[in-house]
Amino acid sequence: MNTNTRYLRHVLSSAAVLFCVNVSIAIAQAPATPAASAAPPAAKPAQTAPAASVAPVAPPAPTFAPSNLTPKGVRSMAATCSACHGTNGVSVGGSLAGLAGLNKDYFVLQMKNFKEGKRDATLMHQIAKGYNEAEINAMADFFATQKR
Amino acid sequence: MTKIMNNNRRDFIKVSGALAGASAIAGCANITSSASAGPKVVIVGGGYGGATAAKYIKMWAPNVDVTVVERNTSFVSCPISNLVLGGSQTMAAITMSYDTLQKKYGVKVVRGEASAIDTDKKVVRLASGDALPYDRVILSPGVDLMYEALPGLNNADAQAKYLHAWKAGSQTLALRKQLEDMPDGGVFAISIPEAPYRCPPGPYERACQVADYFKKTKPKSKVLILDANMDVTSKPGLFKKAWAEMYAGMVEYRPQSKLLDVDTKTSTAKLEFGDEKVNVLNALPPMKAGAIANPFITANKRWCEINWLTYEAKNVPGVHLLGDALQIAPLMPKSAHMANNHGKTCAAAVVALLAGEDVNDSPTLNNTCYSFVSAEKVVHVASIHKYDTKDKTMRTVPGSGGISSSANELEAAYAMTWAKNIWADTLA
Repeated sequence: MNTNTRYLRHVLSSAAVLFCVNVSIAIAQAPATPAASAAPPAAKPAQTAPAASVAPVAPPAPTFAPSNLTPKGVRSMAATCSACHGTNGVSVGGSLAGLAGLNKDYFVLQMKNFKEGKRDATLMHQIAKGYNEAEINAMADFFATQKR
Repeated sequence: MTKIMNNNRRDFIKVSGALAGASAIAGCANITSSASAGPKVVIVGGGYGGATAAKYIKMWAPNVDVTVVERNTSFVSCPISNLVLGGSQTMAAITMSYDTLQKKYGVKVVRGEASAIDTDKKVVRLASGDALPYDRVILSPGVDLMYEALPGLNNADAQAKYLHAWKAGSQTLALRKQLEDMPDGGVFAISIPEAPYRCPPGPYERACQVADYFKKTKPKSKVLILDANMDVTSKPGLFKKAWAEMYAGMVEYRPQSKLLDVDTKTSTAKLEFGDEKVNVLNALPPMKAGAIANPFITANKRWCEINWLTYEAKNVPGVHLLGDALQIAPLMPKSAHMANNHGKTCAAAVVALLAGEDVNDSPTLNNTCYSFVSAEKVVHVASIHKYDTKDKTMRTVPGSGGISSSANELEAAYAMTWAKNIWADTLA
C-alpha cells in the first residue's frame, strides 16, 4: 500500500464519519456493498440500505462461520422458525404449519422440495435456501422431538 | 441503598427481593421468591425485542431472575396497526397483556420509566427513584422521534395535531379519527424520513391502507406520499404496482421530497421544492435509538453498534442492546420480526455468558415483513442473515430471501397467522 492510498483511505474514512447521514441517503437504494476487499476491516459499511430496499441481492461472497450443530446451536437456529411457526414449532395460528412433532424425513423432504421449487410456496422457497443440508437435518431432529 | 451496590450476591439478593416485592405486579410473588437465587437480568423495554428476550431467557434458563421495565400497561403491536387506520382491524385485536409472560414464565414486569443505566454499580435507575440491580442488562428501547428536525412540530400542542402514529397506541386511534373526520376530496399526506427508520415498508403500507379506506368511503380524496428517499425503500415494484392498479388517480408518490417543516397555522407541509397544504398530515420525523440507549450510541449520533455474537454494546461490555435501536447490518431491516430474532439470539448469549459458557459463534437470523396493500391483499419481503467471521457482521445468505411475485390474498391469511404466532412467540 503506498502512502497516497493510505492518505486517501484516511480522508475517505473521515468523510464517511462526517457525512454518514448523507451517504445513507445516497445509498438507500443500493444493495449493501461491503467495502472493497482491500479496505481495512475497521471501515464499517456505514449506513446500509434497509433490508427491504430491494429484493435481497447476492453481495460478494460472505465468509460465514461454520454451522453450529451443537444442541444449543440447533435450538437457537430452530428458534428462527418460531416467529412464523410458533415457539418450538407449536403454531397457534390457522394457516401456517406447526413444526412440532413432524416426522424427520418429512421435514427434510419438504425443505428440499421448497428449495428445488418442487413444492408450491409464496415464501418458503426463499427461506429454505437460507439453510444448508446439515442445518435442515439438525432442525428436523429438533422439531421431531418437540411436543405438539 | 448501599447494599444494592455491594457485590456480595447474597446481600443484594435481599435488597432486590424487597424491591421486587414493592414493584412487581401481583401474581408472580411465588415465582419471584423461587427464582431469586439466580443471576439477575434487567430488560428495559417490553416490545418485540425485549419481551422475546425475557421469555426465551426464562425458557432456556429458568433460574435466571428476569425483570422487564416497560412504560406501557399493555403491548400494542405496530405490525397490523396500519389495518386499524384502514378500518379492517381494531385496537383490541393488536393489544395484548403481559400476564402470560409473568404467570407462565415468571418474568417480572415493572411498569415504569428507566431513567439511567449505572454501569459502574450495575443498576438500572427508574424515574420512580427505584433501582434494579443486574448482572446483565438488555436495552430494547425502540426509537425516539427527532422532532428537533421539524421545528414547527417541536412542541406538544403541534404533535397532538400532527400525528406520527409510529408507535401503535392512542395515536393510531387518533389518526384514524382524523381520517374519518376528513371531508371527501381532502388530501392526506404522509412524510417519510431518510432511511434508516423503523419499519421500511410501513409508510408505503399505510398509504395503501388509507387509500383503501378512501376508495370505499371518500373516493374524491387523495393520498400524497412525501418521501425524503430517492425511491420507495422497500418492495418498490410491488407498492408502485398497487398504487397504479388499485388506487389510480388517488395515490401520488413523490420521491426526494423531504419534509423540512410544518406551518401549523395553515396546515402546510414545507418541502425543499414548494409547499403542500393538506387536510391531514402524518409526519414521520427522523428516528434514533431510544433515549435510555444514549450512552451506547456510536453510529451517526443515532444508532448503537453491537457485537453481533453477544449483542453487547461496542463501547461498553455487559450492556446488551437489540431491536430498532441498533445500527443495522447490511440489508437488515428495523422490523418487529428482526427484533424478535435479536431477542432470541441475545437471550442465548446472555444465558451462556451467565453460565460461563461460550456464546454461539454462528448465529442465524431471519426476517419476514408482510405488507397489506389493501384489506385483502398482501406482499412480503424475506431474508436470512448469518454471521460473517471476516466482516464481524450479519450478512444475507446468497440466493436466499426475496419478495412476493405479486400482491395476493393467500398471503393475507399467512400474514394474519404470522401475526398470531409472533405475538405468541413474543408474549405467550
